[in-house]
Amino acid sequence: MTATAKVSKMQHRIRTSSTLVLLGLIVELVSLLWSHPTAFIVFLVLSASLMGLGILIYFYSLVSIPESSTVSESPGKSHL
Amino acid sequence: MISPTAILVGTIAVSIILAGLVAFRPSVTSSRGGKILAFVSILLFPMLAASMGVDEHVERSKTTAFCTSCHVMENHGKSLHVDDASYLPAAHFQNNRVPRDKACYTCHTDYTLYGGFKSKLRGMQHLYVQYLGKIPEKIELYNAYNNRECLHCHGGARSFEEGATHNLEDDRLDLIKSNQLSCLSTGCHEVAHKVESLKEMKFWTEGDRP
Repeated sequence: MTATAKVSKMQHRIRTSSTLVLLGLIVELVSLLWSHPTAFIVFLVLSASLMGLGILIYFYSLVSIPESSTVSESPGKSHL
Repeated sequence: MISPTAILVGTIAVSIILAGLVAFRPSVTSSRGGKILAFVSILLFPMLAASMGVDEHVERSKTTAFCTSCHVMENHGKSLHVDDASYLPAAHFQNNRVPRDKACYTCHTDYTLYGGFKSKLRGMQHLYVQYLGKIPEKIELYNAYNNRECLHCHGGARSFEEGATHNLEDDRLDLIKSNQLSCLSTGCHEVAHKVESLKEMKFWTEGDRP
């Protein structure tokens, strides 16, 4: 897999994780609109699950891509 | 003074903006600064918003309005407004002996180290019964009411320590303090919510004048 492909895979995972976290935050905001046990359940089950899953995917994206696939390297630059 | 809810909403709004930025422009994470941005927007701020959200929801769950929002608790909420001083919850509620906005929580939380935590677990049990279980026909406490909850406020009070009825026998006060004789015993402070007789009762509303 080329470096570019690895980077886009990582960015895809970051996009996925940040989208899930975003959805979880929106659900949390909505759950604050009313004070009822159902709001608590929506927050606890839906929002926490979405954010938790997003964070887990983010962690996975950090550990799954090898170190050598960094875009910031300029061509021809070598590492010791 | 900014309310905690406003701070929470602000934190969520900032988190949404940051997470949205990374979601729609993941290429920003190519640079070192972008990676830090991703860390802050996917991990730090959402975790902060989530923990503040938990705190907000838990605080809301302590309110009387929250407890009485479930249909099954409607009559218990009504019983707080009964115009009869022998109704223990009503007397406490109407005379501000407990905070009105947290009346249920104040009396139905054990005053021990894990009292608040245990009551939250009981709350989760209520949720389970309400939505997934079978609501019993008669609502009863899971455990008998412990005198400790009464004595948290009334213990040491002159009216309690020197009350004639409390000192009818030599050991009566000790029996009460050790929870061997319930404050809610027949003939004593026995009337709690008594929702079955609400139809016959008169009700008080704040602002009523005699």
